[in-house]
Formats: sequence, C-alpha cells, structure tokens
Amino acid sequence: MPAVLTVDPRSGVPIYLQIIEQVKRSIALGVLRGGEQLPTVKQLAIDLTVNPNTVARAYRELEREAVIETATGRGSFVRTDEIDASPRVALEIGRDALELALREAKAVGLGRDEVREIFTTALERWFSELPKGDSP
Amino acid sequence: MTYVEWLRIRNCLKVLAIILVILLALAIVLRVSVSRYMSPAQWVHHISLDPGTHVTNVTLPDGAKETILDNPGEQTHVTIDDHGNAGTHIVVTEPSSRAHKDKNNVTVGSIHVIETDHGKVTTTVIDTNGSVPMLYYMAIADFFALIVATILAAPLAREINGHLEMTLTKPISRLRYALGAIGVDVIGILAASVMTVVAFYICQLLFETPRLDFSGVNTRAILMGIACPLAWYAMLCAATTWLPRAYGALLGLIPLGLLFVGLLTLVPASNLVALFVHDVAWVISRLDPLTYVSVAAPNAEGTVNYSGANFGFRISMEALFFVAYGALALWRWQRVEA
Amino acid sequence: MSSIKISNLRKVYGSTPAVDGFSLDVPSASVFGLLGPNGAGKTTTFKCMLGLARPSSGEILYDGKPLVPESFQRIAYVPERNVLYEWMTVDEHVEMNRRAFKAFEPARARELLSQFGVDPRKRASALSKGMRTAVMVACAFARNAEILVLDEPTSGLDPVNQRHVLSLIINEAAKGNSVIFSSHQIGQVERAAERIAVMDRGKAILSGVVDDLKADRKIVEGIFPDVNYSLDGIANDPRVARVDRTERILRLLVTAGADEIAARLSGLGATGIRVLDLNLEDIFLYAVSPKDATADIVTKEQSS
Repeated sequence: MPAVLTVDPRSGVPIYLQIIEQVKRSIALGVLRGGEQLPTVKQLAIDLTVNPNTVARAYRELEREAVIETATGRGSFVRTDEIDASPRVALEIGRDALELALREAKAVGLGRDEVREIFTTALERWFSELPKGDSP
Repeated sequence: MTYVEWLRIRNCLKVLAIILVILLALAIVLRVSVSRYMSPAQWVHHISLDPGTHVTNVTLPDGAKETILDNPGEQTHVTIDDHGNAGTHIVVTEPSSRAHKDKNNVTVGSIHVIETDHGKVTTTVIDTNGSVPMLYYMAIADFFALIVATILAAPLAREINGHLEMTLTKPISRLRYALGAIGVDVIGILAASVMTVVAFYICQLLFETPRLDFSGVNTRAILMGIACPLAWYAMLCAATTWLPRAYGALLGLIPLGLLFVGLLTLVPASNLVALFVHDVAWVISRLDPLTYVSVAAPNAEGTVNYSGANFGFRISMEALFFVAYGALALWRWQRVEA
Repeated sequence: MSSIKISNLRKVYGSTPAVDGFSLDVPSASVFGLLGPNGAGKTTTFKCMLGLARPSSGEILYDGKPLVPESFQRIAYVPERNVLYEWMTVDEHVEMNRRAFKAFEPARARELLSQFGVDPRKRASALSKGMRTAVMVACAFARNAEILVLDEPTSGLDPVNQRHVLSLIINEAAKGNSVIFSSHQIGQVERAAERIAVMDRGKAILSGVVDDLKADRKIVEGIFPDVNYSLDGIANDPRVARVDRTERILRLLVTAGADEIAARLSGLGATGIRVLDLNLEDIFLYAVSPKDATADIVTKEQSS
C-alpha cells in the first residue's frame, strides 16, 4: 500500500492534505479495501520521508471524516461500517475536481451557457459507454 | 573526557621516545666501539712491561679481579680492583716528587680522582664508578621536559581555536574539563622527565652500573626539575589561553623572547638608557619561571656553590607561578565564547 | 519529555545584535526547522542554546530548566563549521564520544559511518567537507539523545546522503525525540520539519506549522477592467500582507481567508481571479526578501 502514496513536499498543498487526498483516492480506486490496515504513522513517515506529526495529523483528519478508524495498539484501518467508505470517498473526489474546474472556468470569464456546453460535450466523451439509466 | 589530551600526549611522548631511542642507539654504538678500552687489561699489560714490575693476579671473595703491580725500584705500587660493570677501583702509590704539585680532587661524571699526600708518598685513588649526582640526570630531563611542556602548553587554546563546539557540549563543567586537560598534561610532562632519566640511566648502564646520588643538591635538583617545567607550562598555558588565535606563535616566540630578556638583564648599567633597559628586563625576567631554576650559584671565585641558600624561595616561586598562571588560564577559559 | 523554550533571546556582539529578541517553542517529539538568510542569527541562537555563547538577555529552557553541563547527556549537537580534530582518525572521534557520553552507541556510529561511506580509519584531515559533516552527524545520531540541535546537518553532502540525514531526523521524531535544525535547503525543511521559524536580522519574522502556513498563505490575483480601480479597503485588511499593483493586475499576498478575499475582488469587478498556492520557498522568500519573491512567483507563473 505505501507504494501507492507519494507526496510532493515542494508543492504548495500541505503535506497532510496530500496524504488525505491520496488515501481517499486509493480507497476510491479500490487499492485500499474496507478493513485493510494502513501503515503505522512511523512507518509511513519513514517511507515518505516526511514528519511523523504530519502523517499523524492526516490520519486524525481521516478518522474525523470517518474514512479510517484506529484501534489502539493495533493500528489504523479503512472503515468497514454499514456503508463502505469507497463510494462516498469517490463522490467527494469527483466533486472537488469539478468544483475546481468550474471555479477556474468562471475565473477566466466563461458564462453559464458556455460552461454547460463544455460540460455536456465532455460528459458525452467520457461517459458515452455508460448505460442510459446512469445519466440524470 | 580528557581522551583528546591523552592522544596529544601519546603523540608527543612518541616523538620523545624516538629521540631517546636514537640517543640510546648512539650509546650502544659507542659502547661497542670502545669496548677494547673498557678493560684495564691492556693498560696493565703496558705497565707490566716496565723492568722490575712484579704483577700479581688475585680473585677477591666478591668475585672482583685484583691486579697488583709492584715496582720496588720505582717505589710505585698500583692496585687495580676490576669489579666489571660495577667499576674499577685503582689505588696508585708513588713518591710525592713525581706526583702533581697541585693536589686536585676531580669529579667527572662517575669518575672520582682523589690525591692525598702522606709525607714523601702520594696516594691517588681513582674510582671509575663513583656516585653520579642526580643533578646531571635532572639537567637533561629538565631540558626535554621543558620542550614537551612547551609543545603541550596550549590545551585550552587548541580547544578554543576550533573545537569549542565539541569540548563545551560534553556533560562536564568547563572548569572540570580544563583541570582534567591540565592534569593530563602535567602527567605527560612528568612522564617526559622520567623517560629521559630512564633512557640516560640505560645509556650509562651500558658502560657501568651507576650509583646515583640523591642527597643534598640532588634532592633540590629533582624538586626543581619537577617544578620548573610545570611552572613554565602554566605560564605558556595562560598566555595561549588569553591569545588563543596566536597560540602557535606564542609557543615559539615566548621562549626566544624570554631568552632575549635574560640577555638584556646582563646589560652593564653604563648609562641611563642601559640602566633602564636592564631594569625593565630584570622586572620581566622575575615573571619567568626559568629565572629561578638554578640549584647552584657561581661564587665570587668562579667555582660553583651547591649550597641550598635561597632554594626555599626559588622553589616556592615555581610553585606560585604554577598556581597563579594556571588560575589565570582557568579564569580566562571560564569566559570563553564560541 | 524534550521541549525547548527560548524567550526573548538577545545576543549582542559589540554594538550589533546578532540575535534580537528571538523566541521559539519546540514541543517535545517534534521537528523544528530554522530558516533564514546568512547572518540572520541562526548559528548564534544555537550557540546560545548550547552554552557556547552567553546570551545578553533572555532565557533558554529545556523541559522548563536551564542548561547545565549534565544536560549534554541528552542533547546532541552538530555544529555548522568543521570542528573535528584534524589529526585524529574517525575511529578516535567515535571513541572520544563513547568516553564522553553514557548512552553513545559506537556500533550504531560505525553503522551510520559505513552508510555514509566514511572510512573510519582515515584521519579527519583526509576527509572531504561532506564526509566531515557525515562524521559529526553519525556521532550525533548514535548518541541516543532526546534533543538534537543540528546546524546545517546536510552541508556538503551529496543528495543521497542528504536524504539519509532527513530519514535519520524523521526517525528521531518517530522515536519521540525533538530535533531543531537549520538548513538552506528549504526542500529538506519542508519535508522533515513540522514547524518552522524564519529568522532575519536576529528576529523571528515568521513562524508556525509548515502545513498551516501553506494552507493559509496564498497569492490572490485578479485583473481589473481599467487601471484606476479601487481596492475598497482590501489593502487595509490585516490578512493582506502585501499588495502588488502592476497596471491592471492586482496581486495580494494573504495570510488567511484567501477564498473570501478572492470573492471580494470578484465583487469589485476583477476577472481572472486565481488563488495560487505557495510552497515553503515562496513563503520564505516573501518573508525575507519580498521584492525577489514577487519576481520569482511571476516567472513561475509565466513558465507554467
């Protein structure tokens, strides 16, 4: 699992957010499954060569968001509650990405209609193979 | 905590040991080359060729070979006791008319010559293995100890000048560190003295078994031989601690400078300037431990006086210098910053 | 327990203050990065912390207590300059440490030395600058110290060994020990340090948790329709640290609330509004030398 995680400490995005984002992404992609154990804070800190407190902060945040749970003495695990975390996390990632794109589109001065047109075209291109029932 | 200082001393004494071993090797070469002159046999043979000489060889109860050369015609009687490595004892009896006019009692190293008149007969006792004054040993030991003391005399300056970050971040107080380093250096200096004495003792042992004289002036020489290099060390230590960046130059120039000052004290007070120079030099020389080093003072007649006069004062000055200069170094060291 | 607290430290050499009212708090089990241009007072701060220099005023406490010689059983220090004994071998340096410090592990030191590629039989005088640093670092990390004070612990090292030192620092933090280190390689500080302080001319001009600084400090940029636009008091907002107006382009350095300020710009009629992330180097440059930093950010935008 740690092989999946990479952080870019030189980026302007806080490292703990990068870790959160990547753990979520791994869950969404099914690389990390419900119940699967995450590396210990110490191990991940050493693997990524980042400060352990930063990793601990990411884990705390993931726990707060109910993505992982920590059993004292046993480590941290991806939650296996009544709801599987993965669809929820996938939704979150997708929403964040679209939000960002829309904000940028607005910033460069595109209007509502232009954005809708781009969006519909892109939707057709990327989601055309999906059955009709899936589209809203 | 004094590991580094021990290493320094080890390196320094290693060099001293090499020098002493070279001296020892030279002594061995000398011993081998003079071996044929060491035995009285050759010499006895020459005298025995004189007409009328009667030679008797006896082995004494202690194993010494006694040779008696008797020449009744010449009124000469020579007894040679050869004790091997413990020396040779020669007693020569001859008519006073043929002996030296001036009766000299000479001591050169272990060789003692005592001439005595008994009316018409003079007895000359030559002892090749008389007692050797420790004074001689100490003079040499002092020389080497002073060199070693000069080399070692910047323990604190060396730390200030480059290693303070390592020295002062050890779990030990500054004072304890400095006392430790100085203590180790003192041991090193004393070890240099002992090594020198031992080396020269071995050198002499090649020729004879020396009988060392520790009494009187020799005791004083030993005390002075210990005190003087230590006081000298403390003086240089104080100087280098106060001017750590120039410690190398100080160690080289202070001995030369003080030698120059010593020479200036000899300036005759012929005019006002000379008087002034002399007085200044005299005052400076009072601060130099080497000024107080002598155990002997020349008499008015030019002969050497080995009396203990003033010795108490001089040795006290050396002790005072060691303590005072040492304290000066420590005081400065307490205030050093990186 | 291994916290460090520096309050109002001042160190004056002659009449020039090298450290001028510097305060710092290193909680236990954390890594603290001290940044600053040359001559900012980082090394002087370290020297005061270690009793190598006497503070002119101020207080330095370890777990609430002032430094005493015995503290050095717990504190390991890597000085900035080379202080090895040139005539001694590396092995002898290891031995020196073994004799001086109770918890020193010679085997660990030798292991680290071989990882750094230092031949322990060599004399210090035969080592390169980087190898000398490696010797100091290896000895410090074999001390089992609770507090490590590292002044430029990667100087002269190649990138592989630099990364190795970073791993060692992180390992110490994972063990619950505290590390305070300085480096000109901001990328290293960015990785290893949880908190930083930026020093300039003896003062802390910026301090905080690296991730928080990154999360809060942003550049907000907007383009106005014509040159004479009004800022409506945005410049006086305490969260706006800097205002750059270049013709119609407005660039603000904000210390918090970037989104809100972006919205306000939009309300004022600006278009093309962007919120740019800053990495630690940008944040550092803005703090230390604002003029250069702007130029840097602009070139970065143009190239990307």
